[in-house]
Amino acid sequence: MDNILEVKDLIISFRTGSGTLKAVRNISFTLRRGETLAIVGESGSGKSVTSRAILGILAGNAIVEGGEILYDGKDLLKIEEEEMHKIRGDKISMIFQNPLNSLNPIVKVGKQLTEAMLLKNAANRKAGKIEFNTMLADLKTHMIAASPRDAEEIDRLISDFDRFNIVAIKLEEQYNAVHTKLSELIGDIDDFLFRLSRERKHGGKERLKEMAKALAALRAPLLTDGFEADLSSNAAQLTSESASWINAKGDKSQSYSDTLVSTLGKVRALLARITTAERPNFFRIGYYVYRNPKADFVGMSVQEVNEITLGALESEFMGRFRALEEKGLRHSFDISCAKKQEVVAAIAEAKTFFKGDFTKSDAKKKCKELTALVQASIDRLVTVKDSLAYTFESSLSAAIDTYFAAVVNNPKEEKRFAEQSAKRQKLINAGKSVEWEVVPKSVYDSDALKAGVAGVLDRLEKKYTADIAASSSVDFTARGVEMIDYLKEKASQVVYKLTKRMAKEKAIKLLAEVGISEPRARFNQYPFELSGGMRQRIVIAIALSADPDILVCDEPTTALDVTIQAQIMELINKLKRERDLSVIFITHDLGVVANMADRIAVMYAGKIVEYGTADDLFYDPRHPYTWALLSSMPDLDSKDRLEAIPGTPPNMIYPPVGDAFADRNKYALKIDFEMPPPRFEISPTHWAATWLLHPDAPKVEIPKVITDRIAGMKQTGGADSGN
Amino acid sequence: MATKNPTNNLPDDEVLLRVENLCQYFKSKSGKFENRAVDDVSFDVKKGEVFGLVGESGCGKTTTGRSIIRIYDITSGSIYFKGQRICAGTRAYQNEIKAQRQTIRDIKAEGAPDAEERVSACQRQIQELYAQIEAAKYDHKHSDHVYAQKLVAECDQKFAALLAQAGTSREKVDLKRQYKAERKLAKKTKLITKIQMIFQDPFSSLNPRMTVREIVSEGLVINGIKDREYIDQKVYEILELVGLVREHAGRYPHEFSGGQQQRIGIARAIIMNPDMIIADEPISALDVSIQAQVINLLNELREKLGLTILFIAHDLSVVKYFSDRIGVMYFGKMVELAPADELFEHPLHPYTRSLLSAIPRPDPDFEKVRKRVAYDPLAEHDYSVNQPSMRELTPGHFVYCNDQEALAYQKELGL
Repeated sequence: MDNILEVKDLIISFRTGSGTLKAVRNISFTLRRGETLAIVGESGSGKSVTSRAILGILAGNAIVEGGEILYDGKDLLKIEEEEMHKIRGDKISMIFQNPLNSLNPIVKVGKQLTEAMLLKNAANRKAGKIEFNTMLADLKTHMIAASPRDAEEIDRLISDFDRFNIVAIKLEEQYNAVHTKLSELIGDIDDFLFRLSRERKHGGKERLKEMAKALAALRAPLLTDGFEADLSSNAAQLTSESASWINAKGDKSQSYSDTLVSTLGKVRALLARITTAERPNFFRIGYYVYRNPKADFVGMSVQEVNEITLGALESEFMGRFRALEEKGLRHSFDISCAKKQEVVAAIAEAKTFFKGDFTKSDAKKKCKELTALVQASIDRLVTVKDSLAYTFESSLSAAIDTYFAAVVNNPKEEKRFAEQSAKRQKLINAGKSVEWEVVPKSVYDSDALKAGVAGVLDRLEKKYTADIAASSSVDFTARGVEMIDYLKEKASQVVYKLTKRMAKEKAIKLLAEVGISEPRARFNQYPFELSGGMRQRIVIAIALSADPDILVCDEPTTALDVTIQAQIMELINKLKRERDLSVIFITHDLGVVANMADRIAVMYAGKIVEYGTADDLFYDPRHPYTWALLSSMPDLDSKDRLEAIPGTPPNMIYPPVGDAFADRNKYALKIDFEMPPPRFEISPTHWAATWLLHPDAPKVEIPKVITDRIAGMKQTGGADSGN
Repeated sequence: MATKNPTNNLPDDEVLLRVENLCQYFKSKSGKFENRAVDDVSFDVKKGEVFGLVGESGCGKTTTGRSIIRIYDITSGSIYFKGQRICAGTRAYQNEIKAQRQTIRDIKAEGAPDAEERVSACQRQIQELYAQIEAAKYDHKHSDHVYAQKLVAECDQKFAALLAQAGTSREKVDLKRQYKAERKLAKKTKLITKIQMIFQDPFSSLNPRMTVREIVSEGLVINGIKDREYIDQKVYEILELVGLVREHAGRYPHEFSGGQQQRIGIARAIIMNPDMIIADEPISALDVSIQAQVINLLNELREKLGLTILFIAHDLSVVKYFSDRIGVMYFGKMVELAPADELFEHPLHPYTRSLLSAIPRPDPDFEKVRKRVAYDPLAEHDYSVNQPSMRELTPGHFVYCNDQEALAYQKELGL
């Protein structure tokens, strides 16, 4: 399993009226693909702050003092908002604690769900067009550069390619339009049947008339002539039956509505059959129609048409095109490889430069030089974008900016410190007792910040060295096929239009997927009309509507009761399996995560105090805080007085010198008050930060409650299949 | 207090709170439908016990608690506290009257020879029902007054005896003064203040513009105690009892942590010297490490003050730890009622089983194989022929079921 998200040495503070509050103090963890990481801690332990940092939605007074959050080769803390905007919600989604707060109270559930889908569709279509055109232009340039003698032929081939794609797009658009109508009609029928089941005849009359009309006007999409007769006969039947239903009064209306329901069911099945019929290959057909504008496919099945057109395309066009394309790709790749070598050399030199002292203008100049090199080294004909190289400029300049903002140029902080100290001194000189302290200057670790700059360079260097090493084993034939597939996909993307009614059907499917009963009714309700569990499901559905890679769940079940909690957890687990999601699950209740977590990080006062797999944490807990969390809650067998944790968490404006938990810890040693404990590794997957694990520490017994419980678990554990 | 409900079977002198056929309906927005938040719920709460009420959100457990302290006017049923009816609804009587009138109409249409006799019997019954409605309305409105009168009468009796014994005239004057003061207090006493409530969200249940002293003493002030010194003394005493210090009295709620805020909420409730506390999810909004502190505090107070607690919660492990008896509610109905251990050992109603199967445990191996039992009332029960009711299957263990189910459950229990 590879790491999808890595958090390294993250430090976050909040500027407040009474000083800088250290919310997250140097935490690191990794999230693997398809795994669940649970972060457990009390309120104020910094777990939510961490998750918000991942999404880039920290409060305005937050300062990210250091660290990296690496996702997909990018440092989420350093990329620009524009870039972040594409990731947030799309690649990384979040479920918030209070479902009512995260839903808009005056917008219906359905609209909130479809909003993102529609926006994404519009953006996709626009982007598809641009990407298709630029890629084709780049390809042409490189192909001509690779075989200058065939320039004329290449020019013709490319323009042919462009033109027949336009034909294909037009055909596909027509086909899609019919399909849109079909699926809208299916939605309408579902809607109507639903309303009829609720016995609301009045509103349905107009709808039914419209539906009958739409069905009569509907022509079967391209190449599916077989359905034409069925469609028209069904339309006629529906028209007559709907008329008798509308005019029916009294006792007869029941029998009319019964026949109407059965007819609608039949029509719906027919429409569904058409929508699921095999899709013609428009790329091929586009070429064929482009060559023979009068082509007629009457009476042919989709497979036949696909085959005929494929033959024409391969023999007349593709063979030559592929050969030239391959050369072009190789040409572009060779150039990029050479440039990459230059970049690697330049980076080695830049690294020594950034190690020493440097002024801001010099650093910026260096950054510009490097960026120009990196930009030139990008192989534009690779379909999977090398995000690291594309975002190199923003990452590097952001790292440099942070370095200078923090280390060199922080007059505000200096001024505040000077003013406060002067004021205090004045009061003391005047003989008054001063109770308050001067808030110390925020101290920045310049080495760490420099390391941040070096990290950006390192990552690119590593990537490029690997690329150069692998350059001999590239299969250009496969790349050529990939390129054509990419162009095809972009062309379809342009014509895939999601209408509001289609989005509604998609949203209703999604609502059903997250276990909402009667999704069609829920679609038109407001959030306040739903119970807590239902609201939370809708929040989850919204989070999933963009199909993210990572789902961050910030206490998704805290406001819910046991049964709903269990359902939501099962739902998240199920979706995780089905969609291969990686989940970060934040909670204050250690009890609920045993079910789903693969790994658990226990946080206290901005630090991770214990980290391990679920089995490690529950069967072999080592940190006193973990013990306290486990023993403070009653389970089904506890009878004795509960072992409450005395006191409250420390004030993080003045974080404790030693172990932050020492004050509330009955096992605290003297050293706990003086020095923060380092990590002690218990097994390769399990570590804890407590002095109790030091070889010289006195032996401490785990609280009896926990040992008893673990013993009990071992008895009932796996053998008991639960009741 | 004669009753026909099996769940109201405890001897009268042991019962502190008796809820009889409680129904609480809310009208929907359009006014066409009724939302049956609580539907025909009956149970007894013994003196000094903790009675847990569990169920998912929206099942009516909070509504039950709120109906008991008369935040809502109940639709139907009666609630007795210390033997005195404090709430009464009239819907059931009205429905009965309607039914009787229908019978009269039917009888008249039938035209049988003994029609007149039967009609007059029905009419007598209707008269009786009207009388009961009047009684219910009177009790609902005047229960505090009746209770105060009872106290006054007790006070009168007590002092009459003392005065009769008193020798010197000086003693008599003293006694008379004391008598007057006590009688005045007794007259003002409200029965309902003997039930106090603790709310779920500690912060939103405290007025942010009042100091802790004002919040905690508000009940005393409303009840007509004017002696500042006495009030302060009482406030300090209570604050120390709930684990705060007297310096806290001058502060405002936002200066406290969640656990401390909940302690203030508890102090406000117990300063009225209540016999009963309704704790509505008192720990759900708190951090795990603080929850244990609050539970321990409630346990201590219960021992010290001899409180009876109606504990409403959805966290089953806490409810089991804290309660003596547990009632499980589902969509406004009480579906199972049993002593805590018995309920967890032999859950009978499918909903209870589903609820128990949903409890998360801190045990990964167990969790991996845990099967949550889903509860679908339509699939589980067939009530088309035989109507369900509360039945006592083993002593103290009640289940809402019909005849066949009762037999099946008994077989399961090995009876």
